[in-house]
Amino acid sequence: MDQNNAHRLKRRGLKVLHLVGLFLAMLVICLPGLWIVLNSLRPTVEIMAKPPVWIPQDISLDAYRSMFGGAGQGGIPVWEYFRNSLIISITSTVIALIIGMAGGYAFARYKFKGKSAVFLGFMLTRAVPGIALSLPLFMIFARLGIIDTHFSMILIYVALNVPFTIWLIDGFFRQVPKDLAEAAQIDGCTRWQAFWQVEFPLAGPGIASAGIFAFLTSWNEYALASQITRSVNSKTLPVGLLDYTSEFTIDWRGMCALAVVMIVPALTLTFIIQKHLVSGLTFGAVKG
Amino acid sequence: MKFPKLSAPTLLLLPAIIVLAAVIVLPLLFSLYSSFTPFRLTKPETIWILIGFRNYMSALTSLEFWTAFGRTVLLLTIALNAEMFLGLGLAMLVNKATRGQRLLRTLMMFPMMFSPVLVGFQFKFLFNDNIGFVNNVLQSLGITTSAIPWLIDGNLALFSIIVAEIWSSTSVFAILILAGLLAMPQEPVEAARVDGCTPWQTFRYVTWPYLMPFAMIAMTIRSLDVARAYDIVKIMTDGGPAKRTELLWTLVGRTAYSDARMGMANAMAYISILLSILFTVYFFRKLAAARQQIGAEW
Repeated sequence: MDQNNAHRLKRRGLKVLHLVGLFLAMLVICLPGLWIVLNSLRPTVEIMAKPPVWIPQDISLDAYRSMFGGAGQGGIPVWEYFRNSLIISITSTVIALIIGMAGGYAFARYKFKGKSAVFLGFMLTRAVPGIALSLPLFMIFARLGIIDTHFSMILIYVALNVPFTIWLIDGFFRQVPKDLAEAAQIDGCTRWQAFWQVEFPLAGPGIASAGIFAFLTSWNEYALASQITRSVNSKTLPVGLLDYTSEFTIDWRGMCALAVVMIVPALTLTFIIQKHLVSGLTFGAVKG
Repeated sequence: MKFPKLSAPTLLLLPAIIVLAAVIVLPLLFSLYSSFTPFRLTKPETIWILIGFRNYMSALTSLEFWTAFGRTVLLLTIALNAEMFLGLGLAMLVNKATRGQRLLRTLMMFPMMFSPVLVGFQFKFLFNDNIGFVNNVLQSLGITTSAIPWLIDGNLALFSIIVAEIWSSTSVFAILILAGLLAMPQEPVEAARVDGCTPWQTFRYVTWPYLMPFAMIAMTIRSLDVARAYDIVKIMTDGGPAKRTELLWTLVGRTAYSDARMGMANAMAYISILLSILFTVYFFRKLAAARQQIGAEW
């Protein structure tokens, strides 16, 4: 009986330990983000208060109102940055998807010489650090006179996104059984029709999540954007965020609000794709 | 067929190859060339003077370069190991949870959505010595009476950067390892338990080898953009205080854009590119090896 009790106690102890561990881990993950959201709603006086004010007294949306109203907080044109970010991210995503779909299909459906070498080669272009790539691009684009334009940023982001898009889409196409397209072809479809009517719809959700992933990469990129964009013409949100720090006194509340504006689209989109993203990345893990 | 000589896969891969060649490979060749010149942005004609390996020599003999290099390696070693370890722990914790797993998994992805710039900003705010959350908590709890200069002291600043880096990337490991745990067949684990393995032995010899490819995928993905630490450092300390958190990438950026010594910066950048590529190839190989092992056992 004693042994039984001891065992039960141990089990219960382990369970409590597990819950505490889980709780702590989730706290560490969520707290920083919540802290930012909270502080975007508080007046600066309260953020700066010594001793700290733990329970917010004065919640308001002033920071957001002044950010999107008129010239924006401290003359920072948030609207323009937001628009630039959207245009650049969406256009580059669409182009990267088209190129990535062609490439991913080639990797998933054809056998050709040097396949894995080509694949590795594509991946390696992604390994080049942004800041290292920005040097020659800066020199060349300055020469061509396309610095600080949407076009230059779109071009760069397409190239950045293509390798990873191919990886993901390759995985999704391989999950679609080959026989289906072959059956369609036997039934009189051309390969082109078989692709659009059978394989594409089946791999569709995966391709959509590859697109969202590409969008997020462009949306979040900083190292290259900080050098190639110069002015309100093409500056994106991550570069715009640094506008706040370049001032003498950091406007913490304004920065927090801008951070929230940046994170909300990313948050929404990631929730949509989370399932597909993991399955696309790991599909090759076991089956090779 | 308009191009009878090109096979279908070549045709399909052509756009990708063209874009990558135009935006990445050609510029890199150009920067390779310019790393052999004393090119300065302020003096465009210097692009035509070849000086051989002098840039590389002076980079490889400068203390500044090696300090940044060593610090980068140190940061990556600590961060990647910690991320792997914590990610594994987190995945096991979530996998063990009996209720609310979906919610937990969603929460776990949270840091992945933050762009590195945002992570940097967020931790700059949390670690601020005057109004930061960390100091506020420590002072309110009475653990310390004075403000700890997290981002002002050189060593503490590096520590804070590592914390930010770990926070942002642990979830990549956790998510992929969790995917492995969920996909894992249960029979071998049960068999091991019946055969009298301790929990540790079961984990070490049954679960871990199975999780290896998943961990390696996470490593490969991470190694593809280790340089995102640049964004975090740039916004948190900008290499300061007194260059105590200067990494290879911030050094390249400073040499190129603040000092305008493009040739020199390109030489340094090339060293960092080679480093990244080696790193990626290494993990890609390990991924292939881990896959084969799994294939043999299951």
